[in-house]
Amino acid sequence: MAKLVLSLDGDMLGHHFIAQDRFSIGRKPHNDMHIDDSSVSKEHAVILTIGNDQVLEDLGSTNGTLVNGNIIRKHILQNNDVIEIGRYQIRYMNQKAQPGMDFDRTLMMAPIHRQRKAHGNAETQDVEPADKALSVARAANANFPLGGVKVLEGAHAGQTLELSRPLATFGKSGVQVAVINRRPHGYTITHVEGRKRPLVNLRPIDEKSHALQEGDEIEVGGEKLVFFLKQ
Amino acid sequence: MTVRNALEVATTTDAGVVRPFNEDAVATELDLGLAIVADGMGGYKAGDVASGMAASIMVEELKRQLHASAADSPARILHDAAGKANQAIFQAARANSQYHGMGTTLVTALFHDNHVYFTHVGDSRLYRLRHGRLTVLTQDHSILHEQVAQGLISSDDAKTSHNRNLVTRAIGVEPEVELETQQQEVETGDIYLLCSDGLNDMVDDADIELALTALQANLPLTARQLVMLANDNGGHDNISVVLVKILKPFPAAEPGKGLLNRLFGWLK
Repeated sequence: MAKLVLSLDGDMLGHHFIAQDRFSIGRKPHNDMHIDDSSVSKEHAVILTIGNDQVLEDLGSTNGTLVNGNIIRKHILQNNDVIEIGRYQIRYMNQKAQPGMDFDRTLMMAPIHRQRKAHGNAETQDVEPADKALSVARAANANFPLGGVKVLEGAHAGQTLELSRPLATFGKSGVQVAVINRRPHGYTITHVEGRKRPLVNLRPIDEKSHALQEGDEIEVGGEKLVFFLKQ
Repeated sequence: MTVRNALEVATTTDAGVVRPFNEDAVATELDLGLAIVADGMGGYKAGDVASGMAASIMVEELKRQLHASAADSPARILHDAAGKANQAIFQAARANSQYHGMGTTLVTALFHDNHVYFTHVGDSRLYRLRHGRLTVLTQDHSILHEQVAQGLISSDDAKTSHNRNLVTRAIGVEPEVELETQQQEVETGDIYLLCSDGLNDMVDDADIELALTALQANLPLTARQLVMLANDNGGHDNISVVLVKILKPFPAAEPGKGLLNRLFGWLK
């Protein structure tokens, strides 16, 4: 169960467990976490539990709600987040809310509208496409130096192209095409289409992907490219 | 069969980098114009049983129904087949303690008469690439999707959500499952992608779009590269990919509308 540790200027004042779907924080005594201080609004913030997520929401408080130094309106709490409300600090502790811990086995759960009926909080706003949300940008390639190609011959002769995406194709569609992949351990080239295979340093590459080295010369679909790595 | 020659299909499934087993199931039946991805869940290897059952029951039911003399509409047939799969898996889970609690997601696409008919349950998806643009045609039955759709969190915040594994619907978990089927006209050149969340959780839609657009001349390579991208980004889950490319129109042969009839109708 998630735990909140309340402190003021480094002195621990107490702790609370979040047992309810809606956990409120504010100056009024009925709040689940009651902080009797003028820097705290009467109804300051609330933590809503939805599935594995605990979402901290500011309720339009006078002094705002901060998480790890940033002002927030809504925030999905992560283990060890520090919430600031008025003069107070609240540390959120939940081993299950770690970045990268969300790959547990798939489970089934009742839809939100069924669960949320209980406290009648059926707000609907800001409908955004979820497909954007569900894809995760990951910087898997961050460790390997960025590479590129200089085009020596072909329609783009003279150009230098950075290879920052996970893949880029070269050559002539319908004639001969190769793909250069940016992978965690470096760059590779693979034959995509065409009867003949592309050449690397004048030799046709084989069926599998071929690792590229600095200075390799690539010939594909009438284009001649030199591969380089940025230092 | 007209539909067989009108489609090109490529399939890949992979355990990923982290999981010891692959509990996804994929099936394609070109003569029927059928493609299926199922992502099993449940105890030790039971997910594998559920996804495998879902795929084989869908294939069998569709084979039987589409070949029946008085065939229902494709949407109806899909709906009923998914309902049967649900019942069969639910009963197997009840009858065998090893399988208790097993279930599976399901996405099925049936290509018939210049249309794609599709149904899905859970967070397996159907995408379409048309004129270089990728569109997701299914809406996940998941807590995360609902959180975003209801404005409870922003789509940016969803990246830090811990609800990625929570689906709100699955095949075989309850005696009845809520099903909807949709249909869309296809265009020559469209590419349809059925996948388990092991792909779209690991690879941005923008990169899926790039791979489909740039590599489509070689469909098997495209499927392999999508799996590779997911694994390069961590491969946290099983990854399944079915690609279906529309090569030409596939109008249904209409009984009693042969050349003579058409001529006759035209003369009338």
